[in-house]
Amino acid sequence: MEEEPAPLVARGLTKSYRVGHLRQTLRPALVDLDLEVRPGEILGYVGPNGSGKTTTLKLLTGLLRPDRGEARVFGVPVGDRASRRRLGYLPEHPYLYDYLTPAEYLDYAGRLFGLPSADRRRRVEDLLALVGLERSAHTPMRRFSKGMVQRAGLAQALVNSPDLLLLDEPMSGLDPLGRRLVRNLILEQRRAGRTVLFSTHILSDAETLCDRVAVLRGGRLVSVGALGEILRPGVAHLEVLTSGIRPDALSVEGVVRGEAVGERTRLEVEERALGRVVGAVEAGGGRVLAVQPVRQSLEDYFFEEMGGRGDGGNPWGEG
Amino acid sequence: MGRGLSRLVAVAANTFRETVRERVLYNLVVFAVLMTLSGLLLGQLSIRQDEKILIDIGLAAMDVFGTLIAIFIGVGLVSKEIERRSLYPLLAKPLSREEFFLGKFVGLVFTLFVNVTAMTLGLYAVLLATGRGIEFRLLSAVYPIFLGLVVVVAFAMLFSTVTSSVLASVCTVGVVVAGRFSDVIRNMREVLPGAPGWLIDALYAVVPNFQNFDFKDRVAYGDAMPPDVLGWVTLYATAYCAIVLLLGLASFRGRDFQ
Repeated sequence: MEEEPAPLVARGLTKSYRVGHLRQTLRPALVDLDLEVRPGEILGYVGPNGSGKTTTLKLLTGLLRPDRGEARVFGVPVGDRASRRRLGYLPEHPYLYDYLTPAEYLDYAGRLFGLPSADRRRRVEDLLALVGLERSAHTPMRRFSKGMVQRAGLAQALVNSPDLLLLDEPMSGLDPLGRRLVRNLILEQRRAGRTVLFSTHILSDAETLCDRVAVLRGGRLVSVGALGEILRPGVAHLEVLTSGIRPDALSVEGVVRGEAVGERTRLEVEERALGRVVGAVEAGGGRVLAVQPVRQSLEDYFFEEMGGRGDGGNPWGEG
Repeated sequence: MGRGLSRLVAVAANTFRETVRERVLYNLVVFAVLMTLSGLLLGQLSIRQDEKILIDIGLAAMDVFGTLIAIFIGVGLVSKEIERRSLYPLLAKPLSREEFFLGKFVGLVFTLFVNVTAMTLGLYAVLLATGRGIEFRLLSAVYPIFLGLVVVVAFAMLFSTVTSSVLASVCTVGVVVAGRFSDVIRNMREVLPGAPGWLIDALYAVVPNFQNFDFKDRVAYGDAMPPDVLGWVTLYATAYCAIVLLLGLASFRGRDFQ
């Protein structure tokens, strides 16, 4: 039996934008992207604002045309309309027609896939239930909150039961409940055997959901792999929570940082210095409440990779 | 129905639904009917000219408000899709840009048809209410007005694909005004002897002559337009629409949606 092509393969995908009015210059948005998304995985596409995430997704959906390189969805070139049959796409901050109800909008989306009328009716009901909008099925979307619009946007991306789902910042601007709903929805898609590529700059979402992450910086792919491969596996430091002692009263080698948190003190301690620090705390009349090993997080990785200064400087730029 | 055609019809139906739910449109149609009714008042002031004035004002209202509607929906509906990015999820489906663009056009033309029909029925209702019969010859002035509006919508769509909604509105109004005074362009050589002849000729050829769609006076004076004249006008409008839509389509097809 012939093996099915990968859900998504990009080779040398490059895109620049013209900027300026009178003297136009080319600003590279994506440079030589080589990426392969495996069947059934959730791939997090992460990077700061302006790193090329949205550009990539627009190239994959045919909204933008590459300057060079190519991409294939299940073996079909993305310029080809057939590549979009097995694709679901949620743009960033989707604007859906505010004069339509979600039921009408999903019906419209279903018609564009050529679904027969009876199938569309069923599909619309199922999707509205899936995203929790069944009670607002006949409310014009102009009355929707941001979270409800996002859910309706997700529903339209699922109307054709896509094998590959491309989601651009699906959790952006959502409250905790909305984020949980979207997270569960993404996990459900994987359980159903679908492949998901979602872009995000919320690193905790990527850590929670993804099988692998692809990291972008300045339009270039910095690394791609499982979190365990990208992050240092060992303990980075220990977090020691104490009471009854002030941080400035501790001058022990191996304490990287100390800060008062209410009546307690949180210490960042090197692993080898734990015994010394515990002894010093007790000698000073304090108590050790908890010791927590801290491993490198995706956020730490980012601060290092993106040139974070370790002084609270934000490698994410504005967002 | 082929799949491509069915997608085109889906876009057209949604476009029509959008315009139906746009309240400004109703205001314009109501205003046009009110203007037709005002013809009753003016008719009272003239001797034995009341019916002509009524028809004159009714057709003029249809023309003016129809043009406003055509510009409003032609620019508004296409620019809005691009500026608000509502077309992004649609174009990521197996819908070609051609189907989207032509579907929009068909939906807008159908909206214009419904609006012109409503205004025509309004005019006939006023004529009936004032004891006059239904005169079908009026349709030979209404039909060219409708064709002119279709040409306006095609231009509005073309401009919407290349520039912002404000500039697209300005350009469309410019084409409408220039087209309604195209004899001024033709005679520009006499007014501006220094103007290059080729430029005047090119301008005259490019700008549609909207006077070709204006049979209001002749119909108001009791003439019915011969079918061959209406046939030529149809051909003229079709040719213009085809060229303008092809240009719009080429621009829309090549566009990057950043």
